[in-house]
Amino acid sequence: MTDKGVVYDLGYVPYEGERRARRGAIATTYRDGIYRVFGIRRRARKKILPWSLIVLAILPATVFVGFAFLLSTFSPEADSPFGGHGEYFSITGGVVLLFVALAGPELLIPDRREGVLSIYSSRPLTPDDYIGTRAASLLTVVAGFMLIPQVLMYIGFAALSSSGFFSALLDNADEIPKILAATVVYALAAAPLALLISTVASRKAAATGIYLGVLFVGTGLAAALVEATSVPGSRYAALLSIGDHPDFVRDWIFGLTGSSETVMASAGFDPWVSLAVIAAVAVASSIFVVWRYRRLM
Amino acid sequence: MSEAPILTARDLGLAYGSIVALHGVEFDLPPGRIGLVGANGAGKTTLIKILLGILKPTVGSATVLNFDATSDMLDVRSRIGYMPESDCLPLDITAADFVVYTAGLAGLPANAARQRASDVLTLVGLEEERFRPIEGFSTGMKQRTKLAQAIVHDPELVFLDEPTAGLDPAGREEMLELISRLGGFGINVLVSSHVLGDIERTCDWVLMLDGGRVLRSGPLSHLVDADVVAVEVIGDADRVAQHLVAAGAAVDVTGPRLLVSTTIDDPFRLVRDALAETGTGMRSMGPKATTLEDVFLEGSES
Repeated sequence: MTDKGVVYDLGYVPYEGERRARRGAIATTYRDGIYRVFGIRRRARKKILPWSLIVLAILPATVFVGFAFLLSTFSPEADSPFGGHGEYFSITGGVVLLFVALAGPELLIPDRREGVLSIYSSRPLTPDDYIGTRAASLLTVVAGFMLIPQVLMYIGFAALSSSGFFSALLDNADEIPKILAATVVYALAAAPLALLISTVASRKAAATGIYLGVLFVGTGLAAALVEATSVPGSRYAALLSIGDHPDFVRDWIFGLTGSSETVMASAGFDPWVSLAVIAAVAVASSIFVVWRYRRLM
Repeated sequence: MSEAPILTARDLGLAYGSIVALHGVEFDLPPGRIGLVGANGAGKTTLIKILLGILKPTVGSATVLNFDATSDMLDVRSRIGYMPESDCLPLDITAADFVVYTAGLAGLPANAARQRASDVLTLVGLEEERFRPIEGFSTGMKQRTKLAQAIVHDPELVFLDEPTAGLDPAGREEMLELISRLGGFGINVLVSSHVLGDIERTCDWVLMLDGGRVLRSGPLSHLVDADVVAVEVIGDADRVAQHLVAAGAAVDVTGPRLLVSTTIDDPFRLVRDALAETGTGMRSMGPKATTLEDVFLEGSES
């Protein structure tokens, strides 16, 4: 036996392990989408905005639960001054729109601008796989955004309930389908439109600006037109209040329609009209995005 | 060609509206290193995109590794690699992260992807720089990263579209050296280039395209070794030419220079005999140095 080390030049070693082909390509693209919107494996400045918005979405829920804890300690009979799950969507709903305004362009535009689509085109991935996976990444993140604070509140309030943790969980179980339904509505209202705009815009900042403009300027304009009752048919301008539709449907889901302050409510529309507008915009946006990427890839 | 072809085309054509990019393309290309040559606009990139399944041919068909390029697109893409000519690198991540990602896109599990990316980046000479963001890379480093992503999953066949574009002489040498080594790794290569010298140095089979049609297809040695003798005489070149033609050779006379070829005898012996019989002196004689460029120009003129 010798104590001298030996260095072997193995050169190129062929790969003979597992190949997951399309399944692997889809999983990798999905994971990359999640990483990308949170700035993971990217420079620190790419992490600042998404993580700030996550904190903004979750922090109030933490404060609510903490305040409820103090209230239950010092004044057990007092009612919580904060709203329930339905009201909390008005906080996360606004934050998620801002998040999607940043995440949608981040998911699609760099791949096009930097020519990375040609790499996807040489891997076992169809254009539909690519765009479907990107959309799934965005919808997952949006759903997480909406659900994490709701789960925090649901469990937190149950833990503080005087009727006991498990009893409170069961008593409030009827809130769960409402929370899930509202989450789906917000996700469908926010994500497809962001992907549509990111498909046609060539710069991320422009896409973000256009998206926020459509949501907020459109809604403001719709509100102004609805109030101008002297104009015949002005109430139909409420249909343009894209940013307002999910709030109106949320109020419907949680039984808050009577107190709804949305443009659609002011114009006298039923909530199902808002639901139909959200569905129509989501379907039309998805069709266009798929069509566009079939031509690009 | 004794081995089964890895790439075939039958009456392949593609038109963008009224513009015909490829027309009546037919070939059978063997395993090894294949050069795809042609001027800009000859249809090289269009052909590669058809073989990748990105473009659908207007007429005809093509196969890659025995899979139909259109209907079996995903099977083809599971087995090939592609280094595009244009920019294809995300600038805000490191070369290591990008190559790991592209290995995952090819279906490799995460651990294998990381290991392969590390090995391949070392192979292309980016061992030190792999953890730097790509935006700070030179053109040569970017080209190496593009090559690394093309071979990270150990494909059976890799398409390299203008791999030396934008490289300085030293970078070009290194890239050609890398391409030459791919064959030794068991990876078949199709190199597209308009730099014929690059093809001569790296390939053993050449497919020439011109105006969307196949100009030539064959082993490089057959294309450039034309059995032509170049002679420069001192005296009456036309008289020597007459003797050679009478002996069955084909002769092209330009001033004192003659290009002599024959299929029935050794051209050197014919020239020797003709010079002796006519009493003509000779300044030089040797095999004509036929380059791929000569073959291409000759083919495109005819």
